[in-house]
Parts: sequence; structure tokens; C-alpha cells
Amino acid sequence: MSTKLKNTVLVIMTALFLFGFSFCSILMPDHSESVSERRPLAKFPTVSKESVISGRFMTDFEKYTLDQFPMRDKFREVKSATALYVLGQKDNNGLYIRDGYASKLEPKMDVASVEHAASRFKFVYDRYIADKGMNVYLSVIPDKNYFMARGSAYPSMDYNKLFSAFRDKMHFAKYIDISHLLELSDYYRTDTHWRQEKILDVAGYIASEMGIDLSAEYTASRVDTPFYGVYYGQSALPLPADEMFYLENDILDACKVYDFESGSYIPMYDLAKTQGNDPYEMFLSGPKSLLTIENQQSSTDKELIVFRDSFGSTIAPLFCEAYSKVTLVDIRYISPVMLDRFISFDGSNNTDVLFLYSTSVLNNSVTIK
Amino acid sequence: MLFSSITFLYYFIPALIIFYFASPKRFKNCTLLLFSLFFYAWGEPKYLIFMLVSITQGYIFGILIEKYRKRKRAKVFLTASVLFSLLLLGYCKYVDFFISSFNAVTGLSVPLLRITLPIGISFYTFQILSYTVDVYRGNAPAQRNYINLAAYISMFPQLIAGPIVRYSDIAKQLDNRTHSIDDAALGIRRFVVGLSKKILIANILGELVDIFKSSDEKSVLFFWVYSAAYTLHIYFDFSGYSDMAIGLGRILGFHFSENFDYPYISTSITEFWRRWHISLGTWFRDYLYIPLGGNRVSKPRWFLNIFIVWMATGLWHGAAWNFVLWGIMFAVFLIIEKLWLLSLLKKSKVLSHIYVLFLVMISFVIFDASSISDAFSCIMSMFGSSGIPVVTFESIYYLKSYAITLIIAVICATPIPKRFAHTIQKNKWGVIAANIAEPIAVTMLLAVCTAFLIDGSFNPFLYFRF
Repeated sequence: MSTKLKNTVLVIMTALFLFGFSFCSILMPDHSESVSERRPLAKFPTVSKESVISGRFMTDFEKYTLDQFPMRDKFREVKSATALYVLGQKDNNGLYIRDGYASKLEPKMDVASVEHAASRFKFVYDRYIADKGMNVYLSVIPDKNYFMARGSAYPSMDYNKLFSAFRDKMHFAKYIDISHLLELSDYYRTDTHWRQEKILDVAGYIASEMGIDLSAEYTASRVDTPFYGVYYGQSALPLPADEMFYLENDILDACKVYDFESGSYIPMYDLAKTQGNDPYEMFLSGPKSLLTIENQQSSTDKELIVFRDSFGSTIAPLFCEAYSKVTLVDIRYISPVMLDRFISFDGSNNTDVLFLYSTSVLNNSVTIK
Repeated sequence: MLFSSITFLYYFIPALIIFYFASPKRFKNCTLLLFSLFFYAWGEPKYLIFMLVSITQGYIFGILIEKYRKRKRAKVFLTASVLFSLLLLGYCKYVDFFISSFNAVTGLSVPLLRITLPIGISFYTFQILSYTVDVYRGNAPAQRNYINLAAYISMFPQLIAGPIVRYSDIAKQLDNRTHSIDDAALGIRRFVVGLSKKILIANILGELVDIFKSSDEKSVLFFWVYSAAYTLHIYFDFSGYSDMAIGLGRILGFHFSENFDYPYISTSITEFWRRWHISLGTWFRDYLYIPLGGNRVSKPRWFLNIFIVWMATGLWHGAAWNFVLWGIMFAVFLIIEKLWLLSLLKKSKVLSHIYVLFLVMISFVIFDASSISDAFSCIMSMFGSSGIPVVTFESIYYLKSYAITLIIAVICATPIPKRFAHTIQKNKWGVIAANIAEPIAVTMLLAVCTAFLIDGSFNPFLYFRF
């Protein structure tokens, strides 16, 4: 190939690339949402004299062109692969993969976040629980980094420091350490959460620490849809999908789940949500501020109130066999000030209260109200 | 508008190429001017007026200076133009610096004006200054065509980050330039190389610098990693922009001078400044150092001239005392080298390289510092004097994570890749292989750069842990 021909080919190839993507950007219809990032994409900004003079139109247009670029997710894959496998970076946008598991680096304990979470839990305790004779428990769920970073080059927060901080700050609750019962395979490879079918021992241990015996047996049913968790989209790498299971038995079949937000009964497992952006939402319908699970077959009048995050959606059904009612409260979506409008904190030793939170939420607790 | 943006690459450039090459020859400068004004207004619509006023005064004074050349009035018009340019630059860039310094010395609290610095003002001001001075000196004819002069001063490839293109260098090209496939190919290759330097090296090392700054587990090692990363970051950022400017200029038929020539292989600070930001160094030499008398004066005056030039160089980079200190540091070492060190440095190439790299790294720590005390604190920490650990787990992690990028950056900061390419092309089959590989490599680099730009919009829903 002569230099002249090379130059011609170079100009043609780069021109095709630039003009091709340019025309596609202009002509292709816009997308409303990024499934992989679970967020709405920028729309073409409104043009006005004010927005142009202030420069806002230009800033918004730049965001729009980035969000609506053709084959955006493919380009993100190219970037991730280049960063991790060509440039040898250990993580990409803070996400890393080890032994086939994806996770997000959480290198530091956020002291302010921990204090905020503990102070909100203390507020709940002081306002509704103190001196009511209820049994109060606390358990902290380690995230995947607890297992993935151990013995590796990846930095992770000092988990023992975080556990101790909550033990110290929540002296009113009996601490239930579950970290020794968990291992990496108890979590989804592509998602932040734990797997329901793998945490029966954890549920049993927490229950035993609360003086309850769990003995029910379950059948694990497989969800047909492949599960691509939150880290799948964020890592932008071709990770294999997870398989998702949910546990069933007669007791759970007979339980009724009441959603205070919609004022209606909802399914324990909403299989329609496995077709949505986040299939993990099939467990108790995802983010809900206030739910009760009523056990129709209960032979006791004991009740359990769980202050929880999303990890609670999978474990809470497993406590149902031992309680007549399990109330699930997520104070990220409801102000704790309003709780007594919906929950009766009568106070009796028939009620157990469990604060059950993952380290990832406790270390990023800005959303806790 | 940044070169390293989707808007520039996939909207601005295709539109420019279509309109520019569709324009008849006599309208090409007009097209270029309109696109350059749009390019500037995209980022700074408010400050377009400053640039237009500057261009207009340069145009008028240029013609007047030429009209009265070799007469007293020419000097008056030159002084007026220079004062106008410098006062505008001083108002926009330095007034708050002087007020805060005045407040610090006097204990008063004169309120700051808080003026936002118009992008590129340092570059276009220096271009206008060079134009009027060149016309005054008779090195270039005054430009009678307003559009041509405005197209030169506002030319978007070099508007925001240089190189500082002298009017005398491209006066003929403004009136008459040619376009060819070969020039376009060279320009595209140079542009993509610059884009890759910016996105694939400078931006990634910039991430490492940001990680260091936000870390609360700093160590001696981490300070050195930061210093090396920043030194490489600033080179690849700046020289990447220059490459992009030179490449874009070439596509449009202009031949801009080189701005960087592997400065980190220098064996003295004197040589470093012949290789670093060449257009700025030669500008200060020709328009400040030589008019002050250069080295053809007494020794004390010569040293004073060097100090003046380097203080001005420091201040040109930023309106803060750490930039002044940065300039003075180079002045001191340049004087020491001129007095006796240069002859000593010639005795050991290895030691002279270490000497230059060490000083340059220290200088860029000062350059990047938020204040002089911050600079000293950082330098002290590099030598472990602030009681920090030698290494931390975090510093090892990030060193490993960015090791390949750092190694690539070090290699690409030397002429090794260029020599390798030349070696390949000495062989017939090597030429064929290189000719086949080049278009593919350039297109792939463009694709990877695009991927990195798009990933810049990565913004996951923060509350995904519902």
C-alpha cells in the first residue's frame, strides 16, 4: 500500500466513523432510560434566550449528546474492557470483579454516615420503643466486599470498626453477629444483595438469638428470567447472568402482605417484576416504606417489627412462621416521626424489634430519614 | 467547547468540515471565523464581546501603526494597543490577585471583583500583541481584511490552549493556503494522537491525582505517585491539546509550529524550556526578554531580565503566588546553570536527567498547589517530614491500578515510539505493514477515545440499593 493510498484510506475510514456516528446521533430516536444505570437519560434541552446566554443550554446539550450517543452501552463496554484488561486498572468507576463476582469499592468507613444512621435508630428507639418492654435486636449484614477484599489487593473499610461502632452506639439493642455465617457464594454475582435460598441458616440464627425456633422447610423455585443485577449494568462487562430462586411453603402461601402505600394487599413474590429493570424487586415488591406480613396460620400472637433496607425483603418472609405479624419499616421512605400513625407500639414482651441493615446502606446513610 | 467532547467531535467537526470544504476559497476564512466564534461562544457567550473588541482594536491599531511606520505616532499607537490588551488581560485575570495581595499586606479588606476569567484570553491577547508588535517592527504587513485578522486571532484550534501562533508565521497562509488528502491524513493522525494523549493518558492520570487529593490515607509513596502522575498528566494534557490544534490546523491548511519536543528527556532546565511550551518561551524571548536587553547587558541587569521574564511566565500561567514562585524557581536554576551548572551537568547524563526530572516534579507540585504553604507542605510530605507512613495499603493499590498507564505515559513521553516507527519504516515490508496498520489504529483509537468520553456520563442511580 502506497503512502498516498494509506492517506486516502485513513481519511475515508475516520470520516466514515465520525460522520456515521454524527448522522446516527442526529437521526436515531432518543431513549428515555438507561436500563444498565437505572436512570432516565437526558432529553434535548429547551432552547431559550436565557438558557443560551447563561450557557445552560450548552451544558445540557453536552449531557444530552453523551446520554443519547448511538450504541452507548457498547461503547461503555469498550471503555470498561480497555480500562480493566488493557490498562490493567484494578477497578472501573470503582467497580471491580474478583472470582466472577462484581462489587463496588467501599474503601473507607464514613464516620458521619455511621453516626447519622445510629442517631436515627436511637431516635426511633427513644420515641417508640424505650420502656415499652419490647425486645430489641440489631444485626449488621456485611456487603460483598467483606469477603471479596479479604486477602486481596482491594482496599475495603474496617468492618469490625463499623460493627463495633453500632454495638457501642446502640447499646439498647442486643447485637446479633451474622458475619461468620455468611460467605461470598451467599450473594448474587452481579448484584449487591444476598440470595434468599442461601440465608436460611442466617434467619435461623437470628431467630434463635431472639429466642425463637425456626423449623419450617421450603421449596426453592427458580425464576425463569436470567437475573442481571445492578453491578452487571454498571460494570459494563459481559458477566454471566445469575440464577434467581425464591423460597415457598404452605405458611408463606397463606401469608398476606399489606402495603400501606397503596392500601392494598400485594404478593409476597411478584414474579412480574422479574421482567423489570431490577428483578430483585420481586421480593416484597421492592422499595416499600411500610409493609405487614400477616401469618394466617400462626399459633402465637407474637409480633416482629423489622427496621430494614432491601436485604430485609428476602429474609423477612423466613421469620413469618414464628410470628403472627411481621412489620417491615424502611425509614428511608417514611419519616420515623410518622410511624405511630401506622404502627402500634403498645409495648409488650410479645413484640420483638429487629434493626437489620447492610453495611452498604449504613455507610451511605444519607437517605435514612 | 472542549476538543475532548462528543459535541466537538460528532457535531462541530462534521459541520465545520462540510461547510468549510464546500465554501469557495475566498469565503473559507469567513467560514472559519464564524465557526470559531460559535466554538468560543459555546463555552463563553458572555465573553465573546471581549474577544471581538480586542480583535477590533488590534485591527485598527495595526493599520495605524503601518500607516505611520517609522514615525513617532506608530509608537504611540503600538503603546495604546499594548496597553489596551494588557489592561484587559490584567482586569480579567489579575485584578483580584492584586486586590487580595494588597489586602494581605495592608490588612485592609477591599472587596474582590470576582471576575470569571474568559477562556483563552491569555492566548488571544498574546497573539494580538505579537501581531501589533510584528507590524510595528516591519516583520509583517498589517492585515487590511478584518475577517482574515479575526479568523487568525479567534482560530478555534489554538484559541483555548495554544500554541501561540504568531501572525508573521501564518500571514501568508491566511491569504493563500492549500488543502490536500495528504495534509488531511496527517492532520487527522496528529489530532487523534493528541486526543488519545488527552483522554487515554492525561485524563486517567488526572483521576489518580484526584484520588490522591481526596484520600485521607496519604503516605510518602502516595505523594511521590501523585507528583509523578501530575507531572505526566500536565504534559500529556497540554501537549495533547497542542497536537490536536496542530492536527486541526493541518486539516484546514495551516502549518502551526511545534509546541513540545519531549521536554522530559532534557538534561538541563535550560534545555527543558527549549522543549516545553515552545511557543510561549519564544514569545517571551522575542517580545520581553530581548526588548529588555537580553544577555547583552551587565550581569546584574541580565539576571534581573531573567527574573522579570520568569515572573511574567509564572503569572501568565495563573494569578496566584504559587505561580510566581514557580517562575522564580526556574529563573534561579536557569541563572545557576548559566553561571556554572551547565558544564557540570554535561559530565553525567544519568545524573542530569535525574536532576531535571526531580526539579520538574517539584515545580509541578508548586504549580498544582492551592497556595505556597500547601506547596511546601506537599514537598515536605514527599520527604516524610509530616509524620505520615511511608506506604499504605491504599497507596499500593492505586499504584498497582495505574501502573500500566504510568509506564505507557513514561514511554510515550520519550521519543522511543517515534524511533520505533522510524525503524519499522526502514524496511520495505515494515512500510507496507505500517501503511496498513495506521488507518486501522487511528480509527480504533478514535473509537476508544469516544468510549472513554461516553463513559464520562456514567452516572448510576445512587439509591440503587433500594
